[in-house]
Amino acid sequence: MKSIKLPMSMDQLEAYFKKHLGQGIHDLRREEIKKGIKRKPMKLIWFTVDRKYFRKAVMLVSQIHIPHLSVTSGSDRGDFVELIYHFAVNYGHPGDEVSVNIKVHLPKDDLTIPTITDMVPGAITTEREKQEFLGITVKGIPDSRRLWLDENFPRDRYPWRWDETGMESMSRYVHDESEASNPPTAKNPRRGGDKDE
Amino acid sequence: MSDKNTYQVPIGPIHPAFKEPFMVNFVLDGETIVDAEAHPGMNHRGVEFMGMHRNPLKVIPLAERICGICSIVHQHMFTTATEHAAGIEPTERARYIRTILAELERIHSHVLWAGVAAHEIGFDTHLHFTWKVRERVMDLLEYITGNRVNYAMWTIGGVNRDITKKMYPKIEDTLLYYESLYGKLEDIFLGDTSIRLRTRNVGILTEEDALRLCGVGPTVRASGVRKDVRIDQPYAAYGDLDLDYVIPSSFGYENTGDVFSKTLVRLKEIPQSIDLIRQCVDGMPDGDIDSEPRKAVLINKLKKADGEGIGRIEAPRGEAFHYVRLEGGMEEVANWKVRASTYNNLTTYRPMFMGEQIADIPIIAACIDPCIGCMDRAEVVDVRSGERKHFSHEELHRLSVEKTKMLLGGLP
Repeated sequence: MKSIKLPMSMDQLEAYFKKHLGQGIHDLRREEIKKGIKRKPMKLIWFTVDRKYFRKAVMLVSQIHIPHLSVTSGSDRGDFVELIYHFAVNYGHPGDEVSVNIKVHLPKDDLTIPTITDMVPGAITTEREKQEFLGITVKGIPDSRRLWLDENFPRDRYPWRWDETGMESMSRYVHDESEASNPPTAKNPRRGGDKDE
Repeated sequence: MSDKNTYQVPIGPIHPAFKEPFMVNFVLDGETIVDAEAHPGMNHRGVEFMGMHRNPLKVIPLAERICGICSIVHQHMFTTATEHAAGIEPTERARYIRTILAELERIHSHVLWAGVAAHEIGFDTHLHFTWKVRERVMDLLEYITGNRVNYAMWTIGGVNRDITKKMYPKIEDTLLYYESLYGKLEDIFLGDTSIRLRTRNVGILTEEDALRLCGVGPTVRASGVRKDVRIDQPYAAYGDLDLDYVIPSSFGYENTGDVFSKTLVRLKEIPQSIDLIRQCVDGMPDGDIDSEPRKAVLINKLKKADGEGIGRIEAPRGEAFHYVRLEGGMEEVANWKVRASTYNNLTTYRPMFMGEQIADIPIIAACIDPCIGCMDRAEVVDVRSGERKHFSHEELHRLSVEKTKMLLGGLP
């Protein structure tokens, strides 16, 4: 691939990802939040990719320059687990940096995602964290040991999950015992005793 | 060297004086480190889990308490991310006040770090000197916010207390005090032969490793990497201010990425912070400090908000990041991810430690400013005989001090 001229504008980035990911890219959203008296914008791009296009999306970021992965955030969205890889593109170019946030949805019956540590060696910390906090499996991860949680923490519980594998039943509501006795509801999966009901 | 004895040396994890309880596992060949692996998580408090059971306004004091040194950083990021998610704009004046406080925190963090670094290589006089001069900025923070740490200044949409014209002379006095001292700090940390001997060509992080491992802050700028969120993706009032990347080559030094360069970058950021505070004071816009002072209205607005946002700022230790998602109708924060600077800099330890000596462990461990100034105990395991030996923090510190003395020609 021919070398890319930096910094890439928002239009160029949008066209670049759309061209190379084709049908695998969904819900691309651009944001420019103007800040300060000079109204300099903070630029962001969000998009979702199908899991089979995920490594290609990261490869596209790594072809721009050595990728900077801020972190991966993840959340339990009910039927699926959403992972967001927060990359920063155009660093070193004052005011032109763009946050590229790549979302991947993993269905609950197949919580696997390929590793990206071959392209982004610094991603190992966040991949290990996602495994133990969300119960996903990162395929090909070079080191799958626990990083943050203690060895005594149950193997089948994941602190950021809101389903039966989550930590709600392990939590103690010392301020209001009645909340603990009520099972989580569909409307409020975080805790029982929803006051609105 | 054909008959190699390798030893495993776990250092950490718990000591009351640790800011972040932490362990590093070393593999040694004699005195030389051949491998190093960081083991964090010794004091994982589940802050994100707690945050996801509170409304955003209640998360601010929690976020503030993630770290005692950079308590501004986390409240700043959380409020920025929540404002982004909820579409709330902070007032312009609040942006300037936030910037002034963030830069004051950078000064105190860097001066504190310089003291820790001096202590690790056996210069306790410098430790006492730097920590004494740090008190002035702590006093100023207390004068402005009412607290030495955990300032309770941030709120969604602005700040809780104003910086009035009456406060300007005291701010300027403090800035002048640091300006007058700066030459002395440079003489001590950059000019002193013995400090140079201990920091030059020690704990080297190459530019390539710094980029590949996604390192952040002064740790990577010392290697010549131009990454600084304040410049790359301006937040608060930084877009209005005039500032440039602080890298060693801008000051006639090489971008070697050793401990010396990291010290240099942190010291050079002090006058930069002084300049930024002056620019903020001079250009401070008039107006309100808070876009929605009625908290009940704000909570209601946040409850209805549906969206996601990021807070990304340049903490004294480097880029830090928060992600917040709010769901319409839900009072609690739907998702919150906290990522501090040390999280990304953990992976940079390995290349920095490789090939160095046991006596260099304290200074290299301290050079990314990870809040592990005090290492509790180390255990040496002879993998052949299974024999165990414990190194206390004092012993490691003694080894480091002896190395300094030896380099200076004195008896160990």
